[in-house]
Amino acid sequence: MTEKNHFDGLNYENVYAAQKNMLPGTELSWLNDIRQSSMTKFVEVGLPGPKVEEWRYTNLTPLKSETYEIADKSPSMSADILADLTVQENTGSKVVFINGYFSEAHSKIVSQSGIILKSLPDFLKSDQNSAQALLSSLDKQNSLEHLNTALMTGGYVLQVEENVKLAEPIEIFHIATKGAEAKALRSKCFIEMKSQSSACVIEHFSSPDGFDIWRDNVTRAQLSNGSFLSIYSFQCEGSEVIHMNRVLADLGEDAEFRHQSLNVGGKISRTEVKPTLNGLFAKTNLRGAFLGREGSSHDVFTHMKHMVPQGTSDQIYRGVLDKGGKSAFQGKAYVAKDAQLTNADQSNKNLLLDRGAEANSKPELLIYADDVKCSHGATVGELDDQALFYLESRGLDKNAAKGLLVEAFIAEVFEEIDLEAVKARYLDLARKWLDKG
Amino acid sequence: MAMLEIKNLHVEVDGQKILKGINLTINPGEVHAIMGPNGAGKSTLSYAICGKEGYEITEGSVTFNGKDFLELEPHERAAEGVFLGFQYPVEIPGVSNMNFLKAAINSIRKYRGEDELPAVEFLKLIRAKAAELEVDPEMLKRSVNVGFSGGEKKRNEMIQMAMLDPIFSVLDETDSGLDIDALRIVADGINRMRGQDKAILVITHYQRLLDYVVPDFVHVLAGGKIVKSGDKSLALKLEKDGYAGIGIDENAA
Repeated sequence: MTEKNHFDGLNYENVYAAQKNMLPGTELSWLNDIRQSSMTKFVEVGLPGPKVEEWRYTNLTPLKSETYEIADKSPSMSADILADLTVQENTGSKVVFINGYFSEAHSKIVSQSGIILKSLPDFLKSDQNSAQALLSSLDKQNSLEHLNTALMTGGYVLQVEENVKLAEPIEIFHIATKGAEAKALRSKCFIEMKSQSSACVIEHFSSPDGFDIWRDNVTRAQLSNGSFLSIYSFQCEGSEVIHMNRVLADLGEDAEFRHQSLNVGGKISRTEVKPTLNGLFAKTNLRGAFLGREGSSHDVFTHMKHMVPQGTSDQIYRGVLDKGGKSAFQGKAYVAKDAQLTNADQSNKNLLLDRGAEANSKPELLIYADDVKCSHGATVGELDDQALFYLESRGLDKNAAKGLLVEAFIAEVFEEIDLEAVKARYLDLARKWLDKG
Repeated sequence: MAMLEIKNLHVEVDGQKILKGINLTINPGEVHAIMGPNGAGKSTLSYAICGKEGYEITEGSVTFNGKDFLELEPHERAAEGVFLGFQYPVEIPGVSNMNFLKAAINSIRKYRGEDELPAVEFLKLIRAKAAELEVDPEMLKRSVNVGFSGGEKKRNEMIQMAMLDPIFSVLDETDSGLDIDALRIVADGINRMRGQDKAILVITHYQRLLDYVVPDFVHVLAGGKIVKSGDKSLALKLEKDGYAGIGIDENAA
C-alpha cells in the first residue's frame, strides 16, 4: 500500500477521523475535502524511510512507533518565553502560535496599508475565496506535506501589495509547551509578495527540553517580479523534538529571496529550502549554520531550481559538530536546459570538534544548460591546534579560544545580515550552544 | 629571586627526546639569547615554557616567580605575565585583531582579579601602541594575520606584546624572514619590553638581531642541552667561526 522504502502512516487516518473537529475551518466543506484527499495521498505514500535517498541521513524510525496526535487547544504560557525570544523593539507585528494554535492574546498585528497579515484560521473565516484558492493549488507536495495539509492547525497568511515595503520585520513565534508531549504541531504559512514589494520575516521555534514533540512547519512563498523577501529562522527546539521546516519559494523576474537559518536544537532536525527561479534575473541567497552534539541530528536539504536564464543562486552552510553529533547537508542544484547564464554557487564546510562526530555533505548538481557558472565546495575539518595554542598563549582559556574559532568559522554565514539585533541573536545562540558543551 | 628557573628540563615530542636536561636561570632585568643549530630544540624550549600540548615534560622543573609553572595551563602562564612571540604567527580567518586583543586582555585581567578594560581605554591604548610601532591602524581591523606579509605578521606580534605588556617575553626566531627595516621595528618593539622588573629570552639563529637587542647572556643550545654560555661576545664568535668554531658538530643535533 505504501511506496517502496516508506513505512505506513495508517494511524494518522485514525487521528484525522478522531480529531478533525479540532481543526480550524472544520465547517468548510471544501477544506474538509482537501484535508481528506491529502490524508489519502499521504497514506498512499507513507513516511519516508532511511532507504529513500533524500532521507538517508535522517532516520524517521521514531515516527514509526509513535502516533503523534493533535495537541489540545488550551495552552497557557508564561510571558517570559516570548520576551526571551523577541529580537527587536516592540514595533513590528508579532504572530504567536502555542502548541500549533494561533494565540490572539499573545499576538500583536500592526496594521499597515497594503499589508494583510492574518493567522490561517482567521484568514479561513474572513477571506474564504482566497483561502480556497491558496489551499487548492498546493503543488509539489511530498507525503509529509500532504500530512501537514490534512492536519495543520496553525500558520499565517502574509500578503504584501505592489510597491509596498513592510515597515518593520514580522516576528513569528512557534512555541511549544510541556503540554505538547507526544503531540504533533503543524502549521502552514503563505507569503505572497506582489511586484516590487518587500518584506522581512523572523521566525522562532522554541520548545522545552525533554519533551517528545513533532513539529512540522511549511512556508510557501510567492515572489512576483522585482519583489524581495528575507526570512530569518531560529531553530532552538528542545532536546527531544523532531523538527521539520520546509520552505518553498517561487521567484518571478528580478525577484530576490533570502533565507538565513540557525539550527541549534532538536533530536531530529530537518530543514528544507526549495527555491524555484522562474523569472529572468531572479536571485536567491541561502545562508545557514547548524550546531549539533550527542543526541541531535541536523539535516539541511536545499533544492535550487534554475528554470530560466540569468538567475543567480548562492548558498553557504556551515556545520559545527561536537561529540556524538550528526549532520548532513544535501545541496541539490538543477539548471534547466534553457537556463543559460545561470550563476549557482554552493559551499558547505563542517567543523568537527570531536572525532566522535559525523558530518555528511552531498552536493548534487544537475546541469542541462551549457553556458553557466556553477560551483560547489564541501569540506570537513577539525580545529587547528596551532591556532588554539596561539590564542591560549595570549591568555584565552581553552573554551574561550575554541569559542572564538567556532564563531569565526560560522561568521561568514551571518556577516551580511544588516539587522544588528538579528545578527546579535545568531551569535548569542551560537555562544550559548558552545557554553553548554 | 630569579624570575625564571629551569632545572634539568627533559622534553619529549611524539616519544622523541628533544630537550635533555636544560638548566637556565633568568633574573629580572636580564636579556638572554639562545642560539643554536637547526633542530637543537630551541622552539621546543619556548613551547615547553609556555605549555603547548604535545610537549611532554619527562623530567625537571620550570619555576616562574616562585610558582611551579608546569602546573599551569597556557592561558594561565600568559596571565602570569609570559608572552611568546611566534616564529610563524598563525592566521585566524574571521577573528579580527581588535576582538582578539580585547578578548585576550580582558581574559588576563579576569585571571588577575581586575575589571574589564573599558572600550574607550582599550581603543586609546591600541592607537598609541600602533603609532609607536608604526603599524597602520587599518591592519588591526583585519583578521588575525590573514593575508599579512612576513614582516606584517611579526609587527603584529609586537603589537600584541605591547598590548599585553608581559614581564617575561620569549621571542622565538622573531627575526627570521625580516628585511632590515622590519628588523629595526621588531628590535625596537623588543627593547620596549626591557626593564628592571622584566626579562627577555630571545631565540635566534643569527647574530643580526643581537646588534639591536643587546643581550646580557648568550647560550648555545645543541643536541637538547645548553653546551656553552657567555656574554654577547659569544654571539659574535659564533657569527665569525660558526658552531664548529666552538666545537659543535652542527649535524649532531
